Amino acid sequence: MTAAPLHPEVYPVEEDTLLLLEAAFAEVRSDDRVLEVGTGSGHIAASLGGRAARVVALDLNPHAVQAARARGVEVLRTDLFAGVRGPFDLVLFNPPYLPTMPDERLDDWLEYALDGGTDGRRTIARFLNDLPRVLASGGRAMLLVSSLTGPGEVARLAEAAGLSGRALLERRIEGESLFVIRLERRADRDD
Amino acid sequence: MRRDLQEILCCPVCHGDLDLAVITEDEVEVLEGTLHCRACGIDYPIEDGIPNLLPPGEGAF
Repeated sequence: MTAAPLHPEVYPVEEDTLLLLEAAFAEVRSDDRVLEVGTGSGHIAASLGGRAARVVALDLNPHAVQAARARGVEVLRTDLFAGVRGPFDLVLFNPPYLPTMPDERLDDWLEYALDGGTDGRRTIARFLNDLPRVLASGGRAMLLVSSLTGPGEVARLAEAAGLSGRALLERRIEGESLFVIRLERRADRDD
Repeated sequence: MRRDLQEILCCPVCHGDLDLAVITEDEVEVLEGTLHCRACGIDYPIEDGIPNLLPPGEGAF
């Protein structure tokens, strides 16, 4: 069976997708309730099927949710965690992380998948602030960031949101390094 | 969406409960329907099995 071609405004499988998937495979437990934020093509969520109790994915992009559903992923359309309550044991996110000037924006869905705002952290900051609301007690999140995003600043944002993070994987690609950061509630904030 | 997905969803505006109204479903899941927030008075559509939990007027360029 040949998969249908991916819509041109859906983020395809790239190096960062594969790095986050590698980290997710190492982390996921068979009883996890998993949420993938910004699922794009649905590749990660579909690949985790059968390795977790349940995998749910979301995206803001209407073409992405259709692509993910076509791969058999249980998916909804919403903006980050807006429409979900959780609790989730494992949250995965390959965010828009590239620093982007306003005059560089193309205003289509693929551009939106890359555009991290002027500092690269606009969407990441929103994600970190709302993550504790949906995370189960003892839950973890895996966030992909780039050296271009300012990993130190991301760590400070996580700290401010009551989370602790450590970098797990690093991969050098042309002009940047990619990292997967594992996040959990700080012990003093668990509830 | 499977019916039990409703348990982990909420209104994107107030984070309150949603009431599920089914229009069509198969053995597995709801294909067409609505998720209604009583507090906000908003119906969020389920189309082709995909719930759309965007506040009205958002989500287009």
